[in-house]
Amino acid sequence: MTTLQSLSQIRGVKNVPWDEYYTSGHRTCQGCESALALRLMAKAAGPRTIVLGSTGCMYVANTTYYTTPWVVPWMHTQLGSAGSAATGTAAGLKALMRKEKIKEEPINVIAVCGDGGGADMGLSAISAALTQTEYNLLIFLYDNESYANTDIQVSGTSPWGANTTFSPPGRVHRIMNRRWKKNVAGMLATGHPECRYVATTCTSYPLDLQNKVRKALTTGGPTFIHTLDPCPKGWDYDPRYSHELGELAVETGMWVLYEVQDSKLTLNGPSKALANGTKQRKPVEEYLMRQGRFAHFTPEDTSYVQRKIDDMWTKWWVPGVIPFQNEVVT
Amino acid sequence: MATVAVEVVYRGVFQKSLAKEICRGIVFAARKEGRIGTAFGRYGDSPERNGIPAKQYAVVADGEEELEASLSQYEPAEVDVTIALDDTLCKGVESWAWYGLQPVNKLVKENGTLIVTSVQSPEDLVRSIHRNGVPYNLAILRGQPSFSGLWVYRDDHTDVRVLGALSKSCPQLFSLASVEETVKEQWRSDLKVASARRAYERLMTRLVEPGEGNPEEAYSYHLLPWQEMREGVVVPAVPKGNGFRGGDKGFEPARNPHFKKFATRSMRPVVNFDTCAKCSLCWLHCPDGCFDITPEGLYDANINACCGCGICEEVCPVKGAITMVNEALFTENGSQYELWKAQGKEGYQTWVGEKVTAQKGFGQWSHGYHHKGQYETELALASKEAQ
Repeated sequence: MTTLQSLSQIRGVKNVPWDEYYTSGHRTCQGCESALALRLMAKAAGPRTIVLGSTGCMYVANTTYYTTPWVVPWMHTQLGSAGSAATGTAAGLKALMRKEKIKEEPINVIAVCGDGGGADMGLSAISAALTQTEYNLLIFLYDNESYANTDIQVSGTSPWGANTTFSPPGRVHRIMNRRWKKNVAGMLATGHPECRYVATTCTSYPLDLQNKVRKALTTGGPTFIHTLDPCPKGWDYDPRYSHELGELAVETGMWVLYEVQDSKLTLNGPSKALANGTKQRKPVEEYLMRQGRFAHFTPEDTSYVQRKIDDMWTKWWVPGVIPFQNEVVT
Repeated sequence: MATVAVEVVYRGVFQKSLAKEICRGIVFAARKEGRIGTAFGRYGDSPERNGIPAKQYAVVADGEEELEASLSQYEPAEVDVTIALDDTLCKGVESWAWYGLQPVNKLVKENGTLIVTSVQSPEDLVRSIHRNGVPYNLAILRGQPSFSGLWVYRDDHTDVRVLGALSKSCPQLFSLASVEETVKEQWRSDLKVASARRAYERLMTRLVEPGEGNPEEAYSYHLLPWQEMREGVVVPAVPKGNGFRGGDKGFEPARNPHFKKFATRSMRPVVNFDTCAKCSLCWLHCPDGCFDITPEGLYDANINACCGCGICEEVCPVKGAITMVNEALFTENGSQYELWKAQGKEGYQTWVGEKVTAQKGFGQWSHGYHHKGQYETELALASKEAQ
């Protein structure tokens, strides 16, 4: 196995590197947190990095008309191909180095996909990539909870009841998206016991995000990060509140920050405080009422979501990670 | 008349539903006069992004053949009326997949009309609109630009007010009576009928002579034809950044040179360098990476790269260190840090004070949904004030 880069953990905002590897000049929405996720990710990974981008907002809005905001090499790959593109690139680099066509050095390979590309279409390819333990790669899933590029269609990670172009609330059927959000990181962590690093994060916690990217890249082997990115277009809120909505998602317990490193699970940041009781969960209503996609919710709908979130925190084996009931029947 | 074309220029996503309602209303009102029409969005503007200028059109004709003739074009080559739903678009329109700035009045015919929803004076608006080779009318529909999001519509009557104004500016399109009838049928609200009529009665119009307006040449870019592109459509990467303004201290990232965000913004951050705590949060949380780091460790919002989201104001821990100010109050895009350096503390504080005070004249800043029930409360308050 090629050696890994040494990327130290960032302690405090003052130590965040200044260099930009995904810079200004992309045509994303005002207040786009997925763009921020890429910016922070690229900053953490550094200059010797190759990024592969599945189709999605972060492909289309970044590459129109022969221009790019990328400083590091970036290549487009098809919607469901983040996993295969990452494996192929890592294998290709390894072969080129073995044959001495390029200098032997550790190069980060990161495949970026959205929730449509990663949690729906590309799930099988990501699963395959996570079993290829001889390659160092990171799959970075940015989750804005819909197919946002094509004007907001339901994806496997869209929350229950959210208004999208595929699930508009009507007079007869108010709740049109009746599916619960997929537990992608939990599924991948438990399903790939040889994968050494899986984590969730959120753009409202930039140090958490950057340090997790560095941990993934320095742990080695195939790794996976799932980040929640508030999307002002699809969630329907004033873009100035992007940062606050990410915080609310975590503080209400709707989104859980954790990492699984070498089979050891740790809850991080506010999620840890919610789990050990040093902090109280905020009511989910505070999160839901701030977004136009939930404007049609009645008090019953809100309490349904609250009940499901309460169950996740009280009845799941590990809150937000493993949805089995606490007891094992033997 | 043969065909009448109307163009609606608006802020993507924020005013998408509003533009759709207007174009739809135009076609329905034209039907009342025995004409047919069609409403459509510009293909190149999709998928729309928050704040990025976009266009929808309504074309009305006497007969089918004439309508089909106009529809064989990608978009109308010239229009009888352009409606700008946000007055900051008067500085120019740079749409989603179009490089370079297009004057807002570019498609307006000789003696055609540009309708703008604005609280600014006609003189201020004329100053920011690029010069046109032909005389045209500038009509101002008094009021705050109406912003909402993809799912919840802010029903502040801007839709029917525009239709009322349109019947005054472009009587060959339809009469006020047809608008009133349409509004009654489609929106089923007498209040909205009254709003349309009031807009008709109160519309202010001013003739703009060919020599009037912003004399600047709108910026454009050279788009590579396919023969000049590299094999495999390889795009050269952006180089690494440097020290601030090329020096060895601070940091200034290199940026994609083909994307200036002047037309994407309706607000911009004003940074008060004297109260800045140098905490770096604005820089860290900016999705566009628009802040340059000065040698003193201050954060200078690079106006070429700012798209005006306002996250920096929200995350800034010092009250008043960053204030989002309406784009209409600026005529240039220079560095605020350099202004601070040149003017000294006193001069700069006066400048910041002027901008922040003038911003208050634009009222509450809202670029969409804040919380459930917000639009209803605000509209109830506004209608109470109006009475």
